[in-house]
Amino acid sequence: MNNLIVSKFMFSLLTAFFCVALIVIYLPIIVMIVFSFNSGKYQTLPFREPTFEWYVNLIADSSFINSFFTSLMMASLASVFATILGFLAAYAFSKAKIPAHALLFGIVVCPLVIPMILIGIGMRLQIVSVGIQPALWLVLLGQTLYVLPLAVINLKNRIDKIPKSMEEASISLGSSRLKSIVLILAPICAPSLFATLLLTFTFSFDEFVIAYFLTNFEITLPIRIWTSLVTGFEPKINAVGTAVFIFSVTLGLIAQFILLFKQAELNKH
Amino acid sequence: MVTDMSASSNTINPWPFLLPALSLCLLFFLLPTLNMVILSLTTETGFGFDNFKLFFATPHLTQALHRSLILASSATLIASLVAWPLAYFIVFCVHKKWRPLFLLAILAPFWTSFTIRAFSWQLVLSDNGVVTWFIELITGFSVTLGILYTMNASIFGLALFGSMLTTFTLYGALVSIDDKLIEAASTLGAKPFHIFKDIIFPLGLPGWLAGIFLTFIVCVGDYAVPTLLGGGLKPVLAQIMLSILKGTYDLSQAATIAIVLAITVMLCGLPLIIYSLAKRNRTAV
Repeated sequence: MNNLIVSKFMFSLLTAFFCVALIVIYLPIIVMIVFSFNSGKYQTLPFREPTFEWYVNLIADSSFINSFFTSLMMASLASVFATILGFLAAYAFSKAKIPAHALLFGIVVCPLVIPMILIGIGMRLQIVSVGIQPALWLVLLGQTLYVLPLAVINLKNRIDKIPKSMEEASISLGSSRLKSIVLILAPICAPSLFATLLLTFTFSFDEFVIAYFLTNFEITLPIRIWTSLVTGFEPKINAVGTAVFIFSVTLGLIAQFILLFKQAELNKH
Repeated sequence: MVTDMSASSNTINPWPFLLPALSLCLLFFLLPTLNMVILSLTTETGFGFDNFKLFFATPHLTQALHRSLILASSATLIASLVAWPLAYFIVFCVHKKWRPLFLLAILAPFWTSFTIRAFSWQLVLSDNGVVTWFIELITGFSVTLGILYTMNASIFGLALFGSMLTTFTLYGALVSIDDKLIEAASTLGAKPFHIFKDIIFPLGLPGWLAGIFLTFIVCVGDYAVPTLLGGGLKPVLAQIMLSILKGTYDLSQAATIAIVLAITVMLCGLPLIIYSLAKRNRTAV
């Protein structure tokens, strides 16, 4: 605690506020998890007998399972694509002389500061204009674009901190530029690359609008959940929510953990 | 291209590494945006602003725009206020070692899908939800909460999301403030309030503004919270866009609405951009 700027009174006030915030943030999630084990068709308290019924139903429901695997595939591919493209772009932004540097960087990270729905609608109208049928490969490319800014920003932060001399040394010893990237730069950036993979995977896994606009029949998990929520309540949605929550939070936390602690460590030096 | 580069790697500028990312942006972002602008300007008789005139002459749509703006600005306002005490607590009341952990505690639910989070609030806020149950348990009276499926529920849901986001960006700015600055000010006799006003607030400002801007963008384009918590009777623009593309399929109308929303975002972001440019010039001089 920093005594210089936080008095005892302020400290207790801020602590109380923080605790209230935690309760508000976690209350609905805890309720959802509790309900996912609650027998009884209606979502009302008090709690009835605990049951695994909804989880069993979920595993038996092929529409959920199929959409889960579709999402898994999309997110895996999109995160790998985005990390590779992002790494190359971050390297270029960090080390190359690029005309109109700021403009190009702006274009690459722009999707981050535009409402997702606009990007999704733009893509949908575009494929209609060109006459392409909605399909999963479009979702894949669309989601890669969506998570690319995250990859570029994260990796550029890391590459910026690598002294130029390291690469120059390897090049002056006869290594090619590409070789020095693969053999020197990539291993140094390995933790950041891994964190970026997880981060982009999580975002792409949860992405709804682009997938909704770019496919018709091969739906992803967020679309399946959305359909279920707007067309009528199924009790197993609590179980889905709990599963998705645990899945994405675990991945997201690992990524965030690596990034935050790595950053703190780098700032120390 | 690769062999070419390795041949003369010492002199070549590695800008071509940018090309794959840039072409993806061109095909899936710049072209669609251009196409959307053209589509919104295309009318039955040629080019013109007829689509926009029609938009602003349709009460159903202008009301939705109005609702989008109210919703996004209320949520952003609340979030911007809540973020300060949260980020302040994490940075100045928690030991350095534990800061990331406290931040992660606030951010963890952020990683699950928007839809799931909005849905989980239904369970809490609905008329037979947890809050009602709790009030009845304590007071013994049966109450009707009447919050779910109102604008207030939407504002609440989005404000909560925005608080997490703004706390995150503000944390980034506050955590990089040099301790020595604060110590120096304190040694020279500055009181906590002045340290806040003259050091912490100005240095936290860029992170705070970034959070405000991002929150507004997410809120103005969101369809999930307004649908699941706000209900479908009084839609915001994003909900209307979603229903056009899956229903009436009036593409030029969809493009027009999208452009109106994009211009709105730009207008709201403009003061921030001007501010950051002005600041950059000032530091340059």
